[in-house]
Amino acid sequence: MSNKLKEKLEKAATIGRRELFNRGVVVAGGSAAILAGLNGEAKAEGEPIPVGQATPLTGFAAADGIEFQNGLNLACEEINAMGGILGRPLEPYFEDTKEMGDATNIQAVQRLIDRHGVYAILNGYNVGSGTAIQEVIADAGIIYVHYDTTIGHNNLIKSNPERYYGSFQADPAEYWYGPGYLKFMQQLEEQGKWKRANNKMAIITSAGVYSINIANALKETGKDYGWEVSLFETVNVPISEWGPTLAKIRQDPPGAIAITHFYPQDLAQFMVQFVPNPTPSLIYMQYGPTLPAFREVGKEAVNGVLFATVVGCLQDEIGRAFEKRYKEKFGANAGHMSGGQTFDGAYVWAIAAALAGGPGEQGNDEQNRKVATRMNQLIYRGVNGTTRFIPNENAAYTYPTQTNDSSLGMPHLFLQHQDYTKEPALIAPAPYGVGEFILPPWINA
Amino acid sequence: MTLDILTQIIASGLTLGAMYAVSTVGLSLVWGSLGMLNLAHGGLMAFGGYSAYYAMGALGLPLPAGLLAAILMGGLLGALTYHGAVRFMLRQKAFETNVVIATVGLAFVLENAVLKLFGAQAQRQPLQVEGAIQVGNVVVPLQNILILATALLLMLLVALLLKKSRIGRAVRATAMNREAAQLMGVRVGQIYALVLMLAGALAAVSGVMISSLTGLSPGMGADPMLKAFIICVVAGLGNVYGAVSAALALGLIEALAQFVLGVRFGFATLLLIVIVVLIWRPNGLFGRQQVTRL
Repeated sequence: MSNKLKEKLEKAATIGRRELFNRGVVVAGGSAAILAGLNGEAKAEGEPIPVGQATPLTGFAAADGIEFQNGLNLACEEINAMGGILGRPLEPYFEDTKEMGDATNIQAVQRLIDRHGVYAILNGYNVGSGTAIQEVIADAGIIYVHYDTTIGHNNLIKSNPERYYGSFQADPAEYWYGPGYLKFMQQLEEQGKWKRANNKMAIITSAGVYSINIANALKETGKDYGWEVSLFETVNVPISEWGPTLAKIRQDPPGAIAITHFYPQDLAQFMVQFVPNPTPSLIYMQYGPTLPAFREVGKEAVNGVLFATVVGCLQDEIGRAFEKRYKEKFGANAGHMSGGQTFDGAYVWAIAAALAGGPGEQGNDEQNRKVATRMNQLIYRGVNGTTRFIPNENAAYTYPTQTNDSSLGMPHLFLQHQDYTKEPALIAPAPYGVGEFILPPWINA
Repeated sequence: MTLDILTQIIASGLTLGAMYAVSTVGLSLVWGSLGMLNLAHGGLMAFGGYSAYYAMGALGLPLPAGLLAAILMGGLLGALTYHGAVRFMLRQKAFETNVVIATVGLAFVLENAVLKLFGAQAQRQPLQVEGAIQVGNVVVPLQNILILATALLLMLLVALLLKKSRIGRAVRATAMNREAAQLMGVRVGQIYALVLMLAGALAAVSGVMISSLTGLSPGMGADPMLKAFIICVVAGLGNVYGAVSAALALGLIEALAQFVLGVRFGFATLLLIVIVVLIWRPNGLFGRQQVTRL
């Protein structure tokens, strides 16, 4: 460690609360204090550091894409208020990935590299293969943080950690939705909060890699928890008419229904059509119900739906403070759950870069390897809980399925819509859960 | 298959068919009378849906005013389509190809305008009819019945307009032979503008109806437009009555295929039908060899 860096770290340990407050650290919360400490007295007045984001600003995922942009903008603003990275301010640039095919994603990232000379790409998700952008990053020798939530990333990095050293998936792979949900249901049964009507499970997925991987994980591991798959249905998207699928469900009512398709409007329509003639099934969905559109379209029909996300903003001191700042800046209906992803991703990279003595520009392989090493060593506590990377996979650990220590993994959040006029209740995992599971009205009746 | 399941499939099939039919009327009208494939049709549907949403949600206007706002917006956008693009291409040799490209561009403009004006988050269409009827154990929402009724009503209105009115005669004459109609004193430019306005209004109404089921989002028109395109091809280009009948039939077939073969095979079945129909009857089920499209 250089003497200069040592001095900065010592200073970080002794920095006063007033100083932190002046720099916005108390507002930002979490591990942000590390960055302020490393920056010391420095103001963000040096040469700007360009950072990029390739995100779906138009197209079917624009609702998330715009929030990803908001999240990075807010992070840059706050980081710059703390002195940037060792006195150099961050300057964000954005490119639209539209419908997010691999070709579009790669072109967008390449433009950020060629036109703006970005030091890092700080993305939310793009629903391409999830393994294409890493090639561009490896060739450019920069750092890439994303939330694609795909097991494909883990496998790619494992295949050649030396080449893909700079690519990081800052949330757990989608695979963990499957085992995580099965474990959660088991806990509900053990605690006597719910009893399955039978051992049958209906799995409904859409044709995308993401949804299918989750559905397959449920199918493969379900038998370990006593479940047999009675229906495995793949739907085309968008889908608004669920009649034929519901007819199959009603013909052979399952104890649990898991839907891994994730468009909020489609999922809301499922509930609207399910509720008038329900089966005694616990209904689980993932990701889509975290978005405001789900409640907006489904209204009271969504009450009782369980859903999960392997990355989501916590309803604790840090998460609530972030939500407040986010909504004050971007409006009351802004989706802080999505924005929180790129917000945390930017901090993880910025802190690691500061710890490494500064970020590396394109082709500065030596410096960027130092940054990547720091990222791998970091345990970052942000608005989504803990980010800690799996060595040689460069993807976040999930808690509690992969690690039983809540301080060492990103919480796999389970939420339930209990009153559609209010925010959903975060019911698990401990210690983050703030609400209790209640039986859905169609089972209770 | 029990009676309840059969009822459910018929109810779902009619709902799908009604959504397809309501999307198809406007597209079929323009295709038939102008020989113009309007790929901005989906964008017009989205604008219509959002116009009703804005009128009823933000301005607090009653339901009829919401529908009227959508119709006016659709008509206005139809007029802009003509005056902004179509009329400059009418005399071009490759009109039919050029106008497709132009309307692709217009579709992008419309989708992004909605995105900028209303944001990317999906919204609920406030134009909703509450309640349902029970057929055996199957619940059929009144909203679905409203969509079916609207599709049939629009078809009848278009039929009456084309068959019984002076304007309709001029439209049919233009559809048969543009040059001959012009020589007979028909102001072809005005007819084009009128048809585009009418089709815009029809698209807007269909946008309101479809969004009452699917919710509003900037790209909401893309999927219904694709289905409408398939139906126009199966029915025979520009045949409005045939298109509505084909829409209902295809909706029923799709729902049955979804139940029997699996949901993922529903759309594939539609595409298979298109291939078979085009081999068997190249001008579509209701199309004629002559260019008498309406």
